[in-house]
Amino acid sequence: MFEPDPIPGKRLLRIRLNGRWREDAVADDQLLVDYLRETAGLTGTKTGCDGGECGACTVLVDDDPVPSCLTLAVRCEGRSVETIEGLGAGGRLHRLQRAFHEKLGAQCGFCTPGMIMAAEGLLRRCPDPSEAQIRAALAGNLCRCTGYVKIVESVRAAVQAGT
Amino acid sequence: MTQLAGARAGVPLIDGIDKVTGRARYTADLDHRGALVGRILRSPCSHAQILRLDVERARRLPGVVAILTGEDCRVPYGVLPIAMNEYPLARGKVRYRGEPVAAVAAIDAETAALALSLIELEVHELPAYYEADQARAADAVRIHDDKPGNLEREVHHSFGDVAAGFATADLVRETVIDCAEVNHAQIEPHAALAEFDPSTGRLTMQSVSQVTFYLHMMLARCLEMDESRIRVIKPFVGGGFGARVEVLNFELVTAMLARTAGGKVAMELTREETFITHRARPQTRIRMKLGLGRDGRLRACECEVVQRGGAYAGYGVITILYAGSLLHGLYDLPAVRYDGYRVYANLPPCGAMRGHGSVDTRHAFELLLDRMARELGLDPFEVRRRNLLHAPTRTLNELAINSYGLAECLDRVEAASGWRTRRGRLPRGKGLGMACSHYVSGAAKPIHWTGEPHAVVNVKVDWDGSVTAFTGAADIGQGSSTMVAIAVAETLGLPIEQVRVIAADSATTPKDNGAYSSRITFMVGNAAIDAARRLRTLLTEAAARRLERDPADIDCTDGRFRSLSAADQGISFTDAVKAALVDQGTLTVKGTFTCPPEAQGGKHRGGAVGSTMGFSYAAQVVEVSVDEDTGRVSVDRVWVALDCGFAINPLAVRGQIEGAVWMGMGQALMEETRYLNGMPAHASLLEYRMPTSLDSPPIDAMIVESIDPNGPFGAKEASEGALASFAPALAAAIADAIGVDLDVLPATPDRVLDAVIARRRRERLDALAGGRR
Amino acid sequence: MTAPLPLPRLRLIRPTTVEAAIAARADCPQHEFLAGGTDLLVNMRRGLLAPPALIDITGIAELGEMRTTGDRTRIGALVPLARLAEDPVIADRHAALQAAAASIAAPGHRRLGTVGGNLCLQTRCIYFNQSAWWRAANGACLKSGGEVCHVAPEGTRCHAAFSGDLAPALIALDADIEVARPGGRRRVACADLYHEEGRAHLRLAADEIVTAIEVPATATRSGYLKERVRRSFDFPLAGVAIACRIEGERLSALRIGVTGTNSRPLLIDGTDALLGHRVDESLLTAAEKLVAKQVRPMRTTLFPSNHRRSIAAALTRRLLGTLAAPETAAVRGPSTEGP
Repeated sequence: MFEPDPIPGKRLLRIRLNGRWREDAVADDQLLVDYLRETAGLTGTKTGCDGGECGACTVLVDDDPVPSCLTLAVRCEGRSVETIEGLGAGGRLHRLQRAFHEKLGAQCGFCTPGMIMAAEGLLRRCPDPSEAQIRAALAGNLCRCTGYVKIVESVRAAVQAGT
Repeated sequence: MTQLAGARAGVPLIDGIDKVTGRARYTADLDHRGALVGRILRSPCSHAQILRLDVERARRLPGVVAILTGEDCRVPYGVLPIAMNEYPLARGKVRYRGEPVAAVAAIDAETAALALSLIELEVHELPAYYEADQARAADAVRIHDDKPGNLEREVHHSFGDVAAGFATADLVRETVIDCAEVNHAQIEPHAALAEFDPSTGRLTMQSVSQVTFYLHMMLARCLEMDESRIRVIKPFVGGGFGARVEVLNFELVTAMLARTAGGKVAMELTREETFITHRARPQTRIRMKLGLGRDGRLRACECEVVQRGGAYAGYGVITILYAGSLLHGLYDLPAVRYDGYRVYANLPPCGAMRGHGSVDTRHAFELLLDRMARELGLDPFEVRRRNLLHAPTRTLNELAINSYGLAECLDRVEAASGWRTRRGRLPRGKGLGMACSHYVSGAAKPIHWTGEPHAVVNVKVDWDGSVTAFTGAADIGQGSSTMVAIAVAETLGLPIEQVRVIAADSATTPKDNGAYSSRITFMVGNAAIDAARRLRTLLTEAAARRLERDPADIDCTDGRFRSLSAADQGISFTDAVKAALVDQGTLTVKGTFTCPPEAQGGKHRGGAVGSTMGFSYAAQVVEVSVDEDTGRVSVDRVWVALDCGFAINPLAVRGQIEGAVWMGMGQALMEETRYLNGMPAHASLLEYRMPTSLDSPPIDAMIVESIDPNGPFGAKEASEGALASFAPALAAAIADAIGVDLDVLPATPDRVLDAVIARRRRERLDALAGGRR
Repeated sequence: MTAPLPLPRLRLIRPTTVEAAIAARADCPQHEFLAGGTDLLVNMRRGLLAPPALIDITGIAELGEMRTTGDRTRIGALVPLARLAEDPVIADRHAALQAAAASIAAPGHRRLGTVGGNLCLQTRCIYFNQSAWWRAANGACLKSGGEVCHVAPEGTRCHAAFSGDLAPALIALDADIEVARPGGRRRVACADLYHEEGRAHLRLAADEIVTAIEVPATATRSGYLKERVRRSFDFPLAGVAIACRIEGERLSALRIGVTGTNSRPLLIDGTDALLGHRVDESLLTAAEKLVAKQVRPMRTTLFPSNHRRSIAAALTRRLLGTLAAPETAAVRGPSTEGP
């Protein structure tokens, strides 16, 4: 079978992914979302749109929630990237994961990883947010199932549950 | 009672942890190793004869493994056996911009994209129609040769004496309402993964489908394969709302590419392509005429609906029938005339979307009723109360109604919203409005009539005491697998954790018609209970043998089989299983559910559409703020009550109600799909404006339990009924806030501003006229 | 790789000085500067442009600085929009700028997006911001290399609309833009950074780059209001920024910047005629009329042009009326992300 030429211009990317340093050869044009899904095999981060319109790909870069479809992977050199798979430790659910599960913050679940990462970014900056702050922080993450009612409830429940 | 007793909050979804941890694998997350990349070439033209489609340059491109055109698609497909007029790839003619005309499978995305660019398409363009009235014009060219006037279907139904009804009415009003086309816009873009093994001739298909059985059947049909060689597996599905209740062209194309390539093909559509695939709620014009007595009683209804259905049939016949049949079933209506026209146009095909067929006509009905109540000085709640049905009953068009909780829904939202003390007392710019709606709990007559039961569930119990329910029902986020787990656990007196559900894999699960018309809870729920009861009988008998008692003396609760007469005599569930397995081995029982013929609607043509075992009922109050300078409408709060019969999982029911109300809000406030000469103008999540968290109000969802006599534990549907009352409640609230009656949806700032300007002009004219007097 | 819509193949050039960045661009004018990427990368994925290389300027430390000297605030081109939206000094001294920044897109875009990127935002049009398939099927427009503007086919120019939010605020606040070019830097009033031409709305040579803005903190009241269909992640139907001074109940200074209606952000002419008057009904009507007359919305979106004009006028009246009220000095945006 025909094999394509190796991709020119790859460079070594060293990032701290979910707490562990790793190195990969990455092309300059690779988006962070594709790096996560295809190179690192972390498919929890979703693609829901044609670029920057839905928030399903939200991950934390140095604690800041950003759409990974608007970020070149190579620009994360030396930085910490956290995805939904990095939340929770030792098989235990993170408080946001538990709250989204128990309060039905996730229905179809497709927006959920991005939504939880956006919420986690908020709670790291602002441990006890008001409802208005929760809604503002999630305003770039579209959900088609819940009307956001149980998403907001889930974030509040996570706050109440503490760390 | 285990899960269903006492004050019930409900249970989280049994697959919820997979979703919140990112472990859940959706189609695009599946193992793509070794997969070729599938891509589709789409028509640049709205309506044209294909003169030449040359794929030879593309075929010669290194890395291209398979390439297909309409020539390779011999068999048409479509969800309705009477209206299969679509090919996976266009044959001879294209009928909308974006219609698939060719497809490639290549070693990578770059090669596939390059290959598409090398395909040469030469066409002879034909006149194209983007509006229903253009398409229906006398001199319009036919989009389908067998459909004169570009009419897919017309419906004329008349029940009761309509003329007499209007003659006895004190007030007769007529209005024309326009509702924009909208889209499901589920967050997961379309995707499919197909693998064909040339050595065994077997095809494995994984896709975003809500209807895996239809997909299975249609794959066999279009690929001309033996059904038994096909396996369809549903991975996690990121929402549907009707987008995936018919087999979609890309699914068939992916499978055909896999067979041609003799391997695995992954197809992921862009968001734009996902929008173009469409199959959602059509642009609809409704002429609604109501007759009302001074006493608030409805005397007659006359309704004409024109739906712009797009280029292919899809569910169109059903949609136009639903639009008329579901005029019935909510109120006591003595006379109804309905004329429906489903029209072809050179646009992406419409289909079924949450509240299928009922939403736009319900909007027009409720909105006109609200205006007429105002004119007669009647309270909107009172008008509804004077037209309530009394179950059990049958509507004029022979729909059976066995339970009816609308009265309580009205009471609940009226009280919760403070309607009596607040309505009419809010400051200018703020308003309250209300409306009602209903929806079917499963279409009582299946699309493909085979004589089989409407639902089958298998339950297996094995030596380890584990109980596994097998259902073909597609959980697409609505929580149907959780419902099955509860139904089985409850019937067996087990905690839900002891029941596993395997869903929607044709190799292991029984056939199921799929996730549409809100059928799963009612039909699959009943089948699950039936299966679990049969298993309980077997286990009870085994326990009775072990305890040396009569089976009638054995009760099964809290994971134990106990003697009723001797309380100290009992064995655990696992021991009962072990006893039952003696001489038998692993037990698998089957439960079924069938809708009786009397539930399947009237004998008139199209009379089965709208028939159901049970209707859900909803009432809601919407509070708005309207900015008269900018036309912005903000929804401040919603109170909604839904009669879902019995709430098997109250947590999930609330989630469904909130989601339905919110989706109704999107359609009412900002969502629409328009076209520029047939080019989609809203094919992104930026231009297709679904509300964000900042646009979305608190929703107070209340559950009313009318306990349906036939429903599983008394349950009916919960996910669609509350949608259709949002838009009319919003329109009523806007009228209350600023004295403007909107005849269009959605209520975007420009449309509201237009209406405000028109009202001001009217006020000026009235003032002038008054001055002259 | 199976995901649709990858970026085209490209090379990343990562200069660490402004001079090196300009030199890279001078080498090949087709290269594009990359900052936050929220506009550029999306446009590239749609095939709207395919630069052979991106000059990633995020490694230039100087551009990320923000400081206040005397009565001026200097904000580097790489300062993230989120930082502007959340900075108490900006909210205090340049309320319109804070409000404008807080109103942009959604939180993730504000974190990635930068001051320079928002100033240099591509103009938008319903016929342009589409996929390659869409544009080819519809016939390329002027902006995408075609012969005709689908918005105004009889005309010769492109009408794509500018929709950046910072520019109207900076225009109202009378800010300067610092531009680096080979051999030095120049400063330009914000309004003068733009042309009324959707294809080339920036008055920047290929080898020039925006490096900073300088905002004077004159004792003015200021604010920004924008209307859009959604409250988040939606481009403006119209946005209006006003900076004004009121002395002895009379208007002594007034500048109005408008976005979303033209191919450039507009500085409204003729506001001097309103000075010396009380901000009463007739003055508000006059201000509203000035705006309604000068904005030129075209059918670059599906929202009717006359409504976008009405909205710009209505926002002007509302904002000026609010700013002139004794108890308000500023119309700020919500503090979106924490206390």
